[in-house]
Amino acid sequence: MSTKRFLLGNEAMARGSIEAGVKVVAGYPGTPATEILTAHLERPDVHVEWSINEKVAMEVAIGAALANTRALAVMKHNGTNYMTDTLMHVAFTGVRGGLVLVSADDPNGNSSQNEEDTRIIAHTYAHLPVFDPSSAQEAKDMMKEAFALSEKTELCVVLRPVMRICHSRSLIEVSDEIEPQAKADFVDDRKRFVMSAVVEPSEGGAMRPVVRHRWLNEKQKLLGEIVEQSPFNSVEEGEGKVGIVGCGVSYAYVKEAERILGRKYPVLKLCTLPLPRQKVLAFAKGKDTIIVYEELEPVVAKLIKEILFDAGVQVKVLGRDGFVPAESELSTEIVLRTLAAADPTLEYQAPEPIKLDFPVPARTRTQCIGCGYRGLLHGVKLAARRTKGVVTGDIGCHDAGSFPPLELQSTIYCMGASVPIASGIEDAGFDKPVFSIIGDSTFFHNGMLGFINGLTNKNKVITILCDNRTTAMTGFQPHPGSGQTVRGEDTVRIDTVALAEAMGVEAQVVDPYDIKGVQKALDKAIKSEKGMQLIISRKPCYLLSRRTHEQLFEPRDVSVDQERCNGCKICIDYFGCPAISIVDGKAQINQMSCVKCGMCVEVCKRGAIK
Amino acid sequence: MTESIKKDVVISGVGGQGNILASLVLGRFAMSKGLNILGTESIGAAQREGPVVSHVRISSGQIYSPLIPDRQADVLVGMEELETIRHIRRLNPNGTYLINLHRVPTALCNMGLDKYPDEDAILNAFARYCPNGYSIRASEIAKSIGDLIYTNMVILGALTKIYPFFEKEAIREIAGQEVPKRAYDKCMQAFAAGYEEVKAL
Repeated sequence: MSTKRFLLGNEAMARGSIEAGVKVVAGYPGTPATEILTAHLERPDVHVEWSINEKVAMEVAIGAALANTRALAVMKHNGTNYMTDTLMHVAFTGVRGGLVLVSADDPNGNSSQNEEDTRIIAHTYAHLPVFDPSSAQEAKDMMKEAFALSEKTELCVVLRPVMRICHSRSLIEVSDEIEPQAKADFVDDRKRFVMSAVVEPSEGGAMRPVVRHRWLNEKQKLLGEIVEQSPFNSVEEGEGKVGIVGCGVSYAYVKEAERILGRKYPVLKLCTLPLPRQKVLAFAKGKDTIIVYEELEPVVAKLIKEILFDAGVQVKVLGRDGFVPAESELSTEIVLRTLAAADPTLEYQAPEPIKLDFPVPARTRTQCIGCGYRGLLHGVKLAARRTKGVVTGDIGCHDAGSFPPLELQSTIYCMGASVPIASGIEDAGFDKPVFSIIGDSTFFHNGMLGFINGLTNKNKVITILCDNRTTAMTGFQPHPGSGQTVRGEDTVRIDTVALAEAMGVEAQVVDPYDIKGVQKALDKAIKSEKGMQLIISRKPCYLLSRRTHEQLFEPRDVSVDQERCNGCKICIDYFGCPAISIVDGKAQINQMSCVKCGMCVEVCKRGAIK
Repeated sequence: MTESIKKDVVISGVGGQGNILASLVLGRFAMSKGLNILGTESIGAAQREGPVVSHVRISSGQIYSPLIPDRQADVLVGMEELETIRHIRRLNPNGTYLINLHRVPTALCNMGLDKYPDEDAILNAFARYCPNGYSIRASEIAKSIGDLIYTNMVILGALTKIYPFFEKEAIREIAGQEVPKRAYDKCMQAFAAGYEEVKAL
């Protein structure tokens, strides 16, 4: 029986995978993909796990698929980058049970340190089929189809939703029928699953990697036939010589633009890779321009050019090479504007921008009010300023310390990069202290490898490990230091202090709310003659503590003694609690938002905050 | 033939105000009416007092884009002053707006590098643009009830007063189902206060 449910796009995708009979789901949290994994928890018969990182997650999913069950790996584009090595191998071996990878992209980088198009990794690079959903319902349908396609072709199939699909909410057709699955079993096939530089006598002595590469290339013909019939690619009749190609969510913006214009264009909806060659050629007939809307790179536009060139067809193809903006997220407004530029028959006047007689300030990121990291970062800021040292940063809540007012971390790259980059700065001969700040989830993800690398290569980096027992930034997912599984069951907890001890490092444990204690630990680390220094800041996330009713600090009412305050702004520029502002040259505490953590009392050198 | 319905609502505010839950309630209401619903949330990195905006699109026909195009919003609900004016371009000048008179300064405003616009300047800009404006002191009311997290309930109560498409009793009931049991009474108190205290601008 099928019913309609009001679901998040991510929940819709999970529903598709549940109905497909998925048995193993593994991933690492990352906005906008996170809820795809947790939405599987309603099924007690599905193994769901937050893996230590995306590479491990993908490998767990591969193992399950080799054992002839359906498996799903969930991550965001950065995670797919991290596990690309694994992807390039499973592309050559293929799988037995259906294997689907969801790699969510974040055009505009609303919750990411970069914006990129993982269709290039998955399709251009790994030659795997990709589905790019135009709506949450389609994302759910594609998820089911992806498992079927994976088993039909033996290939890993990639679903690439963008943030607007993941974080949409809509009515989704849900069925209570779950496809029955075979019991797990493992059948040896070493010619496929042992990837090695070995000669294959049965293949005329060709190297095994070449044989497997050929296997993958031959699959492309089958895929080409399948996508020609796919319901995810379709043609709509319309007027004029300008044809529109809408891929994924961009198709939705095209339809919205048509509604606003009250006009029907010829539209080719293309939501699969590879492209349906015959459909593309048929669509190009009689057109003089084709304009391609896709997130984010001109992947489809270039493939269309290739198809047309090979067939000797001359049609102008416009797309995200700059005619349509080459960066950021598309919108209905961009479709309207660029369509008007491409189609001389269209008269469209964009609405005048609304003129305001004042600027609208940007809201940059900062720590939550009450977050212990504010005290910790304040301590590091004072130490770094005093020693003229450099601080490298990593991914996680603490990275907000790199923005004004603190402007503490000088670098932020990808997961785990803080410690090695700090090591390199030191290796280059920089003669002042080098600090790195990293969260616990990131430390387990791969950051500890960088730390061990620093140890064995005799670096001296002062690493501040922010241990709040959770992956806070993405919404409190457990990690190996949490002692809990994704289902909330108790499990082994990897203690960061014990881990350091096993590396031969005596970590200093500090309470981030205790600014004096933080400063003391930093002083000791700076003065130490030994190599890598580890300071572990240990306190749960403040927001999480409000849910668990754990008290992190003794609440105290604070206010500013207006006589004592000399307006030095240390509480703003070196601490930056959003509840403190300067009014008429003096600090003032906004009692509406203050949570009484009292850290600012220690920050004020004049004792004006009490 | 029944009249076609299209209601596009933008709800903007900062983290910790319950913005997403409010949009969820409107969505469930539309669903109960047999209407189509499509929305999207931009939450950025999870944090208190970071910008949060949700788009809620309700229609008797098919809806494609989860984002409401510029000038198409029938209602703009602003839970924080700056975050309301930031999204003015979405509002149809013939639409309706509701603004929570509550100011959360930005980091750069606190540093004195940016100026948080005066309340009068914001309200005047709205008044010049759209005649159908309402205000509420939702955060003050929520805080007096016990916590800023009730802001969304005050806002929902106010919305049902100024925009009767969102039926008071139905919205109240759905909201009551969505909130945690232990907070139910306070949420309902907040909802009622919002309904009573909303003012035309």
